[in-house]
Amino acid sequence: MKTIHIFIIFLLVVVVQLFVPAKMILNQESVIEHGEVFKFKTQPIDPSDPFKGKYINLNYTISNITTTDSLWKRRAPIYVYLETDSLGYAKIQTVSRTILAENNNTYVKASVQWYAKYNNQLNINFPFNRYYMKETKAYDAEIAVRNRQRDSLLDNTYALVYVKQGDAVLTDVLIDDIPIKNYVEKKEE
Amino acid sequence: MKSKFQNNINELLQEQIISKEVAQNIENYYNNKPNTSTSKLFTVFSVLGSTLIGLGIILILAHNWDHFVKGIKTTLAFLPLVIAQFFVGFSILKKKSKTWKEASGVFLFFTVGSSMALVAQIYNIPGDLSSYLLTWIALCLPLIYLLNSHVLAIVSLVFTTYYACAYGYFYNTSHGTPWLYIVLLAVIIPYYIMLIKQKTSANIVSVLNWFFPLSLTIVLASFVQSNESLGYVMYVCLFGCFYNLGKLPHFNNIQLRRNGYLVLGSLGTVFMLLLSSFEWIWKDVLKDNILVNGQETYVLLVLFITSFGLLFFNYLKKGVRSLNLYQFIFIIFSGIFFTGFYGLNFPVVFINVLILLLGIMAVKIGADKYHFGVLNYGLFIIVILIVCRFFDTNMSFVIRGLLFVSVGVGFFLTNYIMLNKKKLKEVKR
Repeated sequence: MKTIHIFIIFLLVVVVQLFVPAKMILNQESVIEHGEVFKFKTQPIDPSDPFKGKYINLNYTISNITTTDSLWKRRAPIYVYLETDSLGYAKIQTVSRTILAENNNTYVKASVQWYAKYNNQLNINFPFNRYYMKETKAYDAEIAVRNRQRDSLLDNTYALVYVKQGDAVLTDVLIDDIPIKNYVEKKEE
Repeated sequence: MKSKFQNNINELLQEQIISKEVAQNIENYYNNKPNTSTSKLFTVFSVLGSTLIGLGIILILAHNWDHFVKGIKTTLAFLPLVIAQFFVGFSILKKKSKTWKEASGVFLFFTVGSSMALVAQIYNIPGDLSSYLLTWIALCLPLIYLLNSHVLAIVSLVFTTYYACAYGYFYNTSHGTPWLYIVLLAVIIPYYIMLIKQKTSANIVSVLNWFFPLSLTIVLASFVQSNESLGYVMYVCLFGCFYNLGKLPHFNNIQLRRNGYLVLGSLGTVFMLLLSSFEWIWKDVLKDNILVNGQETYVLLVLFITSFGLLFFNYLKKGVRSLNLYQFIFIIFSGIFFTGFYGLNFPVVFINVLILLLGIMAVKIGADKYHFGVLNYGLFIIVILIVCRFFDTNMSFVIRGLLFVSVGVGFFLTNYIMLNKKKLKEVKR
């Protein structure tokens, strides 16, 4: 094969290599720009990813719901329809295996974590359960939330999530309306 | 190296074994011969350098510089990628050396990963490790062929194995069967075949001769979902496949240390047989009912047919006399497995006899080829078999002791006889 042909194929590879991360960015930006914002009450713990760094894993308080439908299978897709409760936090209106044409509420596409038949509990795995943080702050964030719980302070930790047509983007995690990274910094001072 | 070589020439000159003219000719020949080892060494260090820089960039970006605004972080995500793409493009257009291509290719591989990782970090995209690895590998596979890069072939194979493990084994991920692993391998294999054809004795081929079977050995268990008993036969067939592949005329003529298929096939076969020589394996592990319609049956069928095909090819090429017992184990074991499964008692006894025969066989092969390694390997199989049997037989300590002493004496005697035979052969020559 001639050098120029190899180079042209390489240019195609370059375009695809640039397109993939660019498309990831465009999708997320579109959700942030046009999506509806929800506050998900959460509790963070800090694992780490070998390539992407430290993050806090977010356990959402609304991820467990009671349902008599026992046919849910692990990892199956689930459409979660959302609404806001009286305190302004996200609340599940209903869940479904398919998109409900007659339901006008905002929905997010998640997956089934598990279903426990003995207490009819369905656990949902939301696709925004990671919040990446500076390596020095992730563990401190977990401790800060735990200390607040120990001191019986009002549970005011939530994730700010933009939702648009099934897609969701987590932009921040806040404690008492202060971004968690600033909250941890403040605590350190 | 050079001074040692010159010393040798001087010694030969002084002893009047070669003439001054011949010495001069030899020296001229080696002085004018292009020095490939230096450029090879430079390639190795360049690749190591690129790998370290690439991994370093991933780690630096993983730190999460939270005081940078999103725009700067996004630029940082693309900057190393674009730089690496420029270097690769430059190497292709300017027809740069192998070193340039290998080093820039590896650098590009890691920057593709770092770029996706940083975008995922900026937007808190969870995505499990396996899907991230899959996209990463898929974006870089064409580079193997575009750059003719050996190192990228190895790196891609390693990451493909990593992907299959993340998909099939790791906790908290998909836990499915990594079928796409086969597709990724199918993309890398043509490059490997091309290398085998062009550079049989090159180091890169030897490395891949080991990495391919190792990767398959690591990943095969992830294809076992519910039919765990069949996993045993699948592994025996896989090792049978390796052994028969290693016996193909093309591989059989290369040194043993370069023939990963033969070594892994033999070791794996013996290991699986030793494992199933315990009675409890048949009573406790291999007791599940076999689902004939499960995916394991189909994978097993493919492995069995491939092994059988390779065995048949070996038979056609070299005749029945060239075949040895190791090449038939997958057929014998499959037979024993499916009959033993239905409550018959002979499998354990039969497998013990089979291992003993394999040990004797290896001793014979070693003795015939005057290969001490193979000879002692055979003796080692017999020793391991005896040690294993001590765990489940009520033999007196005296008899066990005597057995060990006799095997020890056997080790000395066989090696001594072989050494004498070898010396005698050399004297005759």
